[in-house]
Amino acid sequence: MRERQRSYGLQTPGTRGVPGMKRYGMVIDLRKCIGCMSCVVACKAEFGVPMGVWRTWVKVADKGTYPNTKRIFMPRMCNHCDYPVCVRNCPTQATYKHKDGFVLQRYNRCIGCRTCMVACPYNARHLIPAKRTDKNLPKLVVDKCTLCIHRVKKGLVPACVQACVGGARIFGDMNDPNSEVAQLATRETLTVLKPELGTSPSVSYIGGDWEIMDESHSYLNRTTQLREEFNTYKRNHEGDAFGDIVEGESTMRQVSRNFGGFLRSIPHKAKEVFDAYVNLYLR
Amino acid sequence: MADIDRRKFMKLGAAASVACPVLLNAMELDLGGQDFHQIRTFHPRRRKPYLCTLCPYFDGGFTYAEDGEIKKTEGNPDHIATRGKFCAKGMASFFSATDPDRILAPLKRVGARGSGQWQEISWDEAIAEVAGRVRDALTDVDSIYLNEGGFKDGGTVRFMDTIGSKSVIRSRLPSIGTAPKQAVLEQVLGFKTVLPDFEHTKYVLNFGANIMETALPLAQRLTDGIVNNRLKLVTFDVRMSNTAGRSDEWFPVFPGSDGIIALAMANIIMQKGLADPDFIDTWTNYSSEQLAVDLEKFTPEQAEKASGVPAKTIRKIALEFARSKQATVVSQNGISWHRNGIDTEMACLLLAVITGNIDTAGGCCLPRQFNVATPQPVPAPTGSTSKRLNPVFPFEVKDGLHRVQVFFNHMSNPAYSSPAASYWREVLKDPELIPYFVDFSPFMSETAELADIILPDVVDVERHDVGSSPTALWPWVSMSYPEIEPRGMAQDVRMTLKKIVEAIDPDGSRGMRQYWAFSDTRQSVKQAVDATPGMSKRSYKKMRSRGTWPQYGKIDPATRQIINNGEPVEAEYHTYNPAGFPTPSGKIEIQTLAWSANPAHGDLKPNEFVLTTFKVACQSLSLTSNLKYLSELWHSNPLWINRGVARKSGIGDGDLVRVTSEVGHMVTRAWLTEGIHPQTIGISTSVGRTAYGRVALADPHAHASFARKEQEDPDIDHNLWWRDGGVSANDIIPIFIDPETGAQVWNDTVVTVSPAESGDSYGDISVDNTMHFAIYKKLYGGNAA
Amino acid sequence: MNESVIISNVFHHVAWGTTISVYFWLVGASAGAYVIASLGWVFGVERYKQLALPATGMAIILLMLVPVLLVWDLGQPLRFIYLMLPSYWHATGPMSWGSVLIMIYPITMMFYGYSVIKENKRWAKMIGGLCVFLAVAVELYTGVVMEFNPGRSLNHTALAPLLFLTGAFISGVAVLVLWVWIRNMIVSAISRAEKRVDWSLMEELAQYMMYGLIFDAFLLFLEFMQSVYGNQDEVMAHEEVLLGVFRFSYLWLEIVIGLLIPIIILVSPLKRTRFGIVIACIMVGAGVYGMRIWWVMGGQYLQTFY
Ligand SMILES: Nc1nc2c(c(=O)[nH]1)N[C@H]1C(S)=C(S)[C@@H](COP(=O)(O)OP(=O)(O)OC[C@H]3O[C@@H](n4cnc5c(=O)[nH]c(N)nc54)[C@H](O)[C@@H]3O)O[C@H]1N2
Ligand SMILES: Nc1nc2c(c(=O)[nH]1)N[C@H]1C(S)=C(S)[C@@H](COP(=O)(O)OP(=O)(O)OC[C@H]3O[C@@H](n4cnc5c(=O)[nH]c(N)nc54)[C@H](O)[C@@H]3O)O[C@H]1N2
Ligand code: SF4
Ligand code: SF4
Ligand code: SF4
Ligand code: SF4
Ligand code: SF4
Ligand SMILES: [Mo]
Repeated sequence: MRERQRSYGLQTPGTRGVPGMKRYGMVIDLRKCIGCMSCVVACKAEFGVPMGVWRTWVKVADKGTYPNTKRIFMPRMCNHCDYPVCVRNCPTQATYKHKDGFVLQRYNRCIGCRTCMVACPYNARHLIPAKRTDKNLPKLVVDKCTLCIHRVKKGLVPACVQACVGGARIFGDMNDPNSEVAQLATRETLTVLKPELGTSPSVSYIGGDWEIMDESHSYLNRTTQLREEFNTYKRNHEGDAFGDIVEGESTMRQVSRNFGGFLRSIPHKAKEVFDAYVNLYLR
Repeated sequence: MADIDRRKFMKLGAAASVACPVLLNAMELDLGGQDFHQIRTFHPRRRKPYLCTLCPYFDGGFTYAEDGEIKKTEGNPDHIATRGKFCAKGMASFFSATDPDRILAPLKRVGARGSGQWQEISWDEAIAEVAGRVRDALTDVDSIYLNEGGFKDGGTVRFMDTIGSKSVIRSRLPSIGTAPKQAVLEQVLGFKTVLPDFEHTKYVLNFGANIMETALPLAQRLTDGIVNNRLKLVTFDVRMSNTAGRSDEWFPVFPGSDGIIALAMANIIMQKGLADPDFIDTWTNYSSEQLAVDLEKFTPEQAEKASGVPAKTIRKIALEFARSKQATVVSQNGISWHRNGIDTEMACLLLAVITGNIDTAGGCCLPRQFNVATPQPVPAPTGSTSKRLNPVFPFEVKDGLHRVQVFFNHMSNPAYSSPAASYWREVLKDPELIPYFVDFSPFMSETAELADIILPDVVDVERHDVGSSPTALWPWVSMSYPEIEPRGMAQDVRMTLKKIVEAIDPDGSRGMRQYWAFSDTRQSVKQAVDATPGMSKRSYKKMRSRGTWPQYGKIDPATRQIINNGEPVEAEYHTYNPAGFPTPSGKIEIQTLAWSANPAHGDLKPNEFVLTTFKVACQSLSLTSNLKYLSELWHSNPLWINRGVARKSGIGDGDLVRVTSEVGHMVTRAWLTEGIHPQTIGISTSVGRTAYGRVALADPHAHASFARKEQEDPDIDHNLWWRDGGVSANDIIPIFIDPETGAQVWNDTVVTVSPAESGDSYGDISVDNTMHFAIYKKLYGGNAA
Repeated sequence: MNESVIISNVFHHVAWGTTISVYFWLVGASAGAYVIASLGWVFGVERYKQLALPATGMAIILLMLVPVLLVWDLGQPLRFIYLMLPSYWHATGPMSWGSVLIMIYPITMMFYGYSVIKENKRWAKMIGGLCVFLAVAVELYTGVVMEFNPGRSLNHTALAPLLFLTGAFISGVAVLVLWVWIRNMIVSAISRAEKRVDWSLMEELAQYMMYGLIFDAFLLFLEFMQSVYGNQDEVMAHEEVLLGVFRFSYLWLEIVIGLLIPIIILVSPLKRTRFGIVIACIMVGAGVYGMRIWWVMGGQYLQTFY
């Protein structure tokens, strides 16, 4: 198969199958995922990820009719696409594709415009809220899974792989035929999310269920609980985007809530502006 | 028996200590053992060994610290049992140290009990006061009570032995498994627990164990087996737990009917000649012929009638199981916690026995564990370590069967976790019944709220300790060695008790001081290790640097096997041969073969259900509910109800419903699911808090009066987004105590479910405590003690 | 029912919300109004010359609000400057183009206004011409910035820039008419009636607006056909999102209030009454805002459950 060799603007091209180049990625073996959520907590702990945003998460679905039912878990994270839309659309080159396959974020360049969040077809990005536990870590910029490059470069597997109880997450260089991921790729059937978009994800699944992998399906088939909880989330979590639509609320209330959020953001953004100013000029 | 094990494993341990480095594929990355800051990667985080005690599996791992704060916990990659894996709870446990709602100074109640008004006092004052109370009560020493919930003795039981009080009650047993299960195993095999060898098995029959959510060190071997050995996992459970949902086959059974299924299977296996007659004849107290005859009366048809699982299916599964040869049986609370729990446990174990799958590769293995000693000299046991379980205790107090002068509570939260929790609260609130109540809790639990004085203990990551649990085919001991000093004024309970003892016995004349001769916890742990046969100063040192001992080898990242000298470390099986089992006869002693329908649910009326409560992957009873990353993942517990049934009773998804038991009702929300038996409803435990703090209450504004500024976490105050904290069912669950083991029979409560009435709001609980007491009276007529 | 139900997932915020939709509306109205402003001096339609200054003024004012919204909407407001720094500039990012356009467009407009005041025909024509180009570009850009997200089926359509352009034109006219109406009242009140803009021009503009509305309806119809005959995501986006959560802004605000009723007014005898025109313009302005709401948030909304 002919591999595409193109890059978006000023960024590194994808390295899929390019000899001598690395392409780190993950194979997630859904047969082994037990939904223990260790990976989620490990990732949150590793980066002090604030509540309400996630670098990785596990989607859970129930399938079938009593008594023939099954439960499906599907861990989700940034796909470290070979052709990442997020990178292409970023106006400041704050997000970029590393030559070894990582799609990364430069916090000091990021203006928090969230273009990349709109661009990512996988919902893999989030804006870090204004308040977090460790005040020395970045705030109000966009963040995402880094494939734990800080660990990989030190010879360690990513934190979520480290923690994975079921052993479902397998990490390695897809271009190295000796690696476990590459061997799995030849031995098992791999699927990726939204293959039709041509993003060429570096995260692939063994035993993926098309229904849970499908965007429309997720929207149509969520439980009442989930919808209600999402509404609570939108009401209470400071999203700094002022556009969440609470289902069942009137448009007038939506609009007033959104503007209310905008107004409420003024003090903490002003503080952020002030802090940045102090850092820039007064230190 | 235990000695034989240890000798064998010691040999291996010695070999492993001179192991040469294992050749790994050069491309592989390390599975852990180090940690770095996400930005400052050139400053590795400081690593210290850590022992997770959030559940009885005691996984060994590491803490990683930076700037004097624990940033992360994770499994120890060279630990023979955990192989580097902590579950979500273990991963999140480091937060407890910096929990903003943590108690960091001795607190003395100022208002009425439970009014939530506290005054910080100094340790000297606190110790003087508690010691005074204890001294006064020494004349009637059994009036000093301890309610113990620790999985191991953290020093409190030693304290009771020191002062000579027998009055220890427990909220859980200090080992894996519930009381009925332990009772059966002890009688039949002479061990308290068995270990299913998932790694090597081909077939798993699971009766009411939720391995993938509650037994994580075993679950990782199960998934390996699923992919590597293509094992078949068959689960009997009343609802689709994560384990049931990931099983090859899940059979929803009528509650409490597992026993007859197992017996019918055993019958078929015997009849088809698929049993292992040699094993039965040599190693059990039964002859195979006799067993076959005795089992004949249990037919699959009878099982179908009781359980709803088709007879055809039972036959099929029985044959598959027996033909697999390498097959194992696993069971837990789901079958134990019924009135017929003992018979059921017996029946399920029988399946492994008759097929000879006892201590074989892929079978039910005998536990391998070190019994870590305690510092010498040890006070003479008063017998208080007996398994007196606590559910009936408040009723007996009320009934005048106990005269309590001082009540200590350690690592237990009966006001939330025990059945008839509302009754516990009533008794604990009553100064007539409990004149003086001391809690050691580091958190303001539902129980601690009612205390007279709280002497805050340290949390896991601040504790220096050793522990072991039979979670692998090789025994191990792991250590916790804190990187950080306890925060605030928190103090290890052993040191608190030591000071109390010293205050009671200042000159040693009462003979109590000698048992508390260590100067700090470090010395106490050293003394304990020294006193453990087979361990030495070297093992202590090894544990301090590597976290666990013995070192069996290094883990191979790809296969997850422990490799020593280039070879995977092989387990030893058939360890009972030739010495036999530690039972009186040295053989497996099959007790009664019986099953009777559960009297609690004779004929259920259409809107009557059996209430099952269950644990979830991200919470561990009360230990985790204030940990933000866990509660973010699991904070509410809607009522599981079968969709078809709910529709018929006019209950829609998300509707408010009333769940009514004999003693009262609660109002919660319904979740319509296909994954539950139509005659069962399910409510998860661990959430539905009325205490603990902001995270557990799902209310970022619920600042405690004693909360400290330096512990504040802006993340909790600003980003905590959920507002539904769940509703706990324990108030409406009346006691029913298994007469043989004293354990609460949790899964037998019959309730009705109806749409909420007008005026009901979410979370309402209304319980008649006199009904709770009436039930106690009816069951025990006041003579339970 | 043999399908699966999602029982647990995490939640995501809509990345671009109300602020961005207001911004899209402002930019559109500004560009639309400016195109009218240019008719007189740039395209030599004499009777429109009297509109040039009021319209340019309004376009500038509308556009002045934009940076306030946009900059404050950034996570790091102070860093808006990065969008202009050459070393940060990213050629493939639509927003890079947009930020340049949004910077130079109002400035150019100011020069145009100045040349009009100075009655410098040559400069007015030249700068005005450039400005028309910029107005169209700014407007196309707002469509493009959403279109270039292949993962969002609602937005990923080649019609997007055209939809935005049409929307800009009609909302520009609508706002301009309203502006002139108010301005005329004010200048009458301070008794400088000679400064009033000729209302017959407004009637003429309203007719142009009606053609725009019809064209807009046509584009919407094309979109509708594509989603009805589209793939699952498109069908779903239409049925569940546009006719579901966004029913008010899509169906009622945009189509009924913003298109159908104004068209009816503008073909009926009401089109010759001041009342009819003003009402139609209010409705069109609101309708275009309805479109901005679902356009910005609808596509993302779908995905917040993914
Ligand atoms: N995550 C987590 N892990 C834990 C703990 C924790 O709190 N959280 N606690 C630890 C402790 S103390 C214990 S005791 C263990 C308990 O571990 P488990 O026994 O595995 O857990 P439970 O949730 O108590 O019950 C197991 C299952 O029994 C099912 N059940 C109920 N009635 C029946 C029945 O009649 N038949 C069958 N076949 N199944 C039935 C329930 O649906 C439930 O899924 O877990 C330990 N591990
Ligand atoms: N409905 C329902 N109820 C159940 C169950 C169920 O499945 N369903 N499960 C039952 C089972 S299996 C068990 S084992 C029991 C467990 O019930 P309990 O033994 O009562 O244990 P927890 O509720 O976890 O409470 C532990 C207490 O210890 C305190 N604590 C935490 N860390 C420390 C520490 O480091 N030091 C000290 N001193 N204290 C600490 C916490 O604040 C908490 O209050 O619950 C039972 N209750
Ligand atoms: S998944 Fe999204 S964020 Fe990650 S590389 Fe792909 S487009 Fe970018
Ligand atoms: S939010 Fe940051 S990373 Fe994302 S597009 Fe804007 S500048 Fe780039
Ligand atoms: S690779 Fe690292 S950043 Fe990405 S999900 Fe895993 S732990 Fe989180
Ligand atoms: S840690 Fe592994 S097994 Fe557990 S939920 Fe995550 S991917 Fe699944
Ligand atoms: S399984 Fe138990 S011991 Fe192991 S990490 Fe989880 S909570 Fe801790
Ligand atoms: Mo337990």
